[in-house]
Amino acid sequence: MDQLSHLMAGFAGALTLVNLMWVLIGALLGTAVGVLPGLGSSMAVALLLPVTFSLDPTAAFIMFAGVYFGGMFGDSTAGILLNTPGASSAIATTFEGHKMAKSGQAARALATAAMGAFIGGLIATTLVVFFAPSLVKLATAFGPAEYFALAVFAFVAISSVVSESIIKGLGALSIGLVLALIGVDGISGSVRFTGGLPQLFDGLSIVVITVGLLALGEVIHVASRIHRDPSALRIPASGRIRLSGADFRKALPAWLRGTAFGVPFGVIPAGGAEIPTFLAYGTEKRLAAKRKDPEFGTTGSINGVAAPEAAGNATAGMAMGALLALGLPVSATAALMIAAFQQYGMQPGPLLFERSGDMVWTLLASLFVGLVMLLIINMQFAGLWAKLLLVPRHYLYAGITVLSMLGVYAVSSSVIDLWFLLAIGILGFIMRRYQFPVAPVLIAVILGPLAETSLRRALTVSEGDLGYLVSSPTTIIMYLLLIAAVALTMVKHAASRRKLRSEAMVLQDS
Amino acid sequence: MSTTQSRETTEDTVRITGFFSGRSELVVTALLLALAVALTIGTASMNVMGDTVPGPQFFPWIICIVLYALTVLHGLSVLRTRRFPQGTDSGNPDFSAEMLAELGDTQRTEVLGASAQRPRRTGRVRLYSDWATIAWIVGGIACFILVLPVLGWIISAAGLFWAICKALGSTRPIFDIGVAAMVSSISYLAFGLGLGLSLPAGLLGGLL
Repeated sequence: MDQLSHLMAGFAGALTLVNLMWVLIGALLGTAVGVLPGLGSSMAVALLLPVTFSLDPTAAFIMFAGVYFGGMFGDSTAGILLNTPGASSAIATTFEGHKMAKSGQAARALATAAMGAFIGGLIATTLVVFFAPSLVKLATAFGPAEYFALAVFAFVAISSVVSESIIKGLGALSIGLVLALIGVDGISGSVRFTGGLPQLFDGLSIVVITVGLLALGEVIHVASRIHRDPSALRIPASGRIRLSGADFRKALPAWLRGTAFGVPFGVIPAGGAEIPTFLAYGTEKRLAAKRKDPEFGTTGSINGVAAPEAAGNATAGMAMGALLALGLPVSATAALMIAAFQQYGMQPGPLLFERSGDMVWTLLASLFVGLVMLLIINMQFAGLWAKLLLVPRHYLYAGITVLSMLGVYAVSSSVIDLWFLLAIGILGFIMRRYQFPVAPVLIAVILGPLAETSLRRALTVSEGDLGYLVSSPTTIIMYLLLIAAVALTMVKHAASRRKLRSEAMVLQDS
Repeated sequence: MSTTQSRETTEDTVRITGFFSGRSELVVTALLLALAVALTIGTASMNVMGDTVPGPQFFPWIICIVLYALTVLHGLSVLRTRRFPQGTDSGNPDFSAEMLAELGDTQRTEVLGASAQRPRRTGRVRLYSDWATIAWIVGGIACFILVLPVLGWIISAAGLFWAICKALGSTRPIFDIGVAAMVSSISYLAFGLGLGLSLPAGLLGGLL
């Protein structure tokens, strides 16, 4: 039980006063951004990335981990009380959660959600501790061909299979790949696409791209709609936030089912928690239909809240393992965590456990600490968090804008980065305006360099023989899975397009 | 020629006044094309160092080809179907709404009553983007970047905060001045002095 001794050493590192403080700060910040509608943990990590630059890496990562999980705890609060999920991973929770709130059970729903997030996260993190070493072993057997296949899998899965439109997904992916190309090519030393600007030799800073797309793009998008959309009605959380024994027994199977859905999606690059949460919700719904549960869909069923919430956090927890051990980001937020490691000159992947083992185990231990803290601050103070929803939206977005500027300027003290930030922000707005997914851009920016170097290394090794890319069973399986998924998606998209066309209104062109 | 129009819309959101009605998305096609052309020029004129095979131009060429293909496909899809804004928030394009609906079984009505689609605020609203507010925001940020080196962080950030509050519909401009000054000063103290980030002191630099 090598892992246990590592983990105990990790706890020794995590349970120092300073590190506990960072976990707490991260948990508070994460819950806060989670609660606020429209802000997800990815935006929070993006905004914090530059300002934590002066901290030591362990402290920064412990805080990020708190933010990462905190966002998952908090995002259901706004969904349950307002019917506006704080992030898209909370949509599935919102269906039943808001029904419970409307029928006067807001406190019960919030408690179920918090407990679900705790259980899902706890099980997933435990699995990570025990399976991370095996994942590392798997990854060390990977050559350039396998890494290229992994990158292609992530690219296509996130841009085409799960997104709304294949063309738009691939468009977003290409934009990201182009952004990743800027700078000096690592293999040959050639300067690429800098337009002669020396500031771009190191590439367009990942901070500029993430803050621009996620934070500034969102601010401009909100600006384009704020005078258009009506505001939502708030339901006060009344009553004590606690679960009765009967509720606990009723929700426990749902929590476990949700976790079972969530865990596998932590290692599949399918964009994170949305798919497992919906799967979990769908399963609960089918079960409720079979049992003729009268609450589900009317006054709100506790199971419909429990399962998706557990699934979401199980995915987040497992994703942490995939990114630490394989260097594979499965969602936009995970991509940001990898960007954070790169900021500190570390490359997540098998070597990370060897080179920075102490830090990794402290980080894993602090995930457990963070989960316990989050459970307490969400169960005890859920009503207080709901008060955050009273902060006027204009202060919120003005604050986000100021913080984005601060972070980007602080990284290199150069004004030109701020202009790049504004340009990327406008790009982010245009993408939102025309329904282009943003996640593929981030995945491409993070994995683009890996894809390029592994492709070029593979072709150098094989002296230009493309067959080398599909020469091992691992690669063949990955490509076959991918082809099957894409084919299925195309069939589905074509069918829905035909349906839309047959329902659409026909206009005579003048 | 007749064009079909995606999804159902109500009469008043459809105004076909010219070629670009419902086709403003061609902006994105143009953007993709511009990116493709820039990438082509950059790759063709690249000053290649070393003699690695495949070299630094290999990957960019692949992306170039993909980009040109996508430009054509995207352009065609926009030209074929005019799209008009509908509903309020159209959800998160990162995920296919249809796929999530299928996974979540959200359409099933027997026994349970439909759980609707994505939660969404209701009510009648004007649907087109609010360009005036966008101009305020983008202009405010541009001004901020211009004056930052001269005026320093505290004054410029306060100005930016105030301008954005105003643009987003704050009704208390005088009160906002106080909030803005507080936010910029606290951020300067916390991040500049506390965490040691380098923020320009500017005019107030002499006082601190």
